[in-house]
Amino acid sequence: MTDVRSRRVAVVADSLLVPLLPELQARGFGAIQLPPEGLEPAVAAEWVEQVAEHVAEFVRNDYEVVLAGDAVHDAALVAALDALGVSPLPQYAIQPPSTSKLTPET
Amino acid sequence: MARVAFIAHCMLNQNAKVEGGAARPAVWEPVLDLLREHGYVIRQMPCPELAFGGARRFWGVREQFDTPLYRRHCRRLAKLVAAVMAQHVKAGDDLVVIGVDSSPTMGIDFIPSAEHWAGKPDIGDDDSRLVPGDGIFLGELRAELAARGLPMPRATGIRHWFPHYDPDEERRRLEELLEPGDRIRPDD
Repeated sequence: MTDVRSRRVAVVADSLLVPLLPELQARGFGAIQLPPEGLEPAVAAEWVEQVAEHVAEFVRNDYEVVLAGDAVHDAALVAALDALGVSPLPQYAIQPPSTSKLTPET
Repeated sequence: MARVAFIAHCMLNQNAKVEGGAARPAVWEPVLDLLREHGYVIRQMPCPELAFGGARRFWGVREQFDTPLYRRHCRRLAKLVAAVMAQHVKAGDDLVVIGVDSSPTMGIDFIPSAEHWAGKPDIGDDDSRLVPGDGIFLGELRAELAARGLPMPRATGIRHWFPHYDPDEERRRLEELLEPGDRIRPDD
């Protein structure tokens, strides 16, 4: 059985998940979703905590893990990771739009 | 009213699969494409096996995972998922669950079983059987929802590791799931 995992994971803000999915897929990043806005604070905190536990396991096993955040839960994630002895994640570099899309249509 | 799909973690992150189980580099596109086509909001559930057994866990069957401690772990995560579901139900949203029918944890209708698996991890060829039943997390989620007075949303499981996997059958089954059904409400 062939395993084709990318060993690349992006922790993604809920607001960015749908727009970024095609790009993440093309670049071979699996995604871990951060909580959506509007959840009860305790529920959102618990969601972030379990995300941090997943992240810690990937980091421990030398997967590449990055953050595509929107600032809503970034600080909470940093704190949850710190509690597990994991450093803040590097930022995911969102790809600029293709230059062809910047060319006026004629 | 929104349509909301609670999906197994690995639909969005194939890296969470047990080693040997990632059929795609990153995401399981057949499900995500359908969710987009049908206008579903995505809610990714945690991966209980990754969180408990780690990224380098061995394959397992129901008989190995079904311990009180693993159930407590799954119940903890199920409480989180149920709390999120409860908010959607309160908002009148339409919910579905998509699991993995070859998983002892995330199975919806089928789970792997092998009463003789134990000890030294050199079982050789996979001689487990897929038997009817729900995974341990799904069972705990069902119990947690019941404790909150919420029924289990309609659900199905991905079967891409079945010996005679039929992508067309799966697509039809998923499309049937994603069509609007009876909304779940706390007083149903």
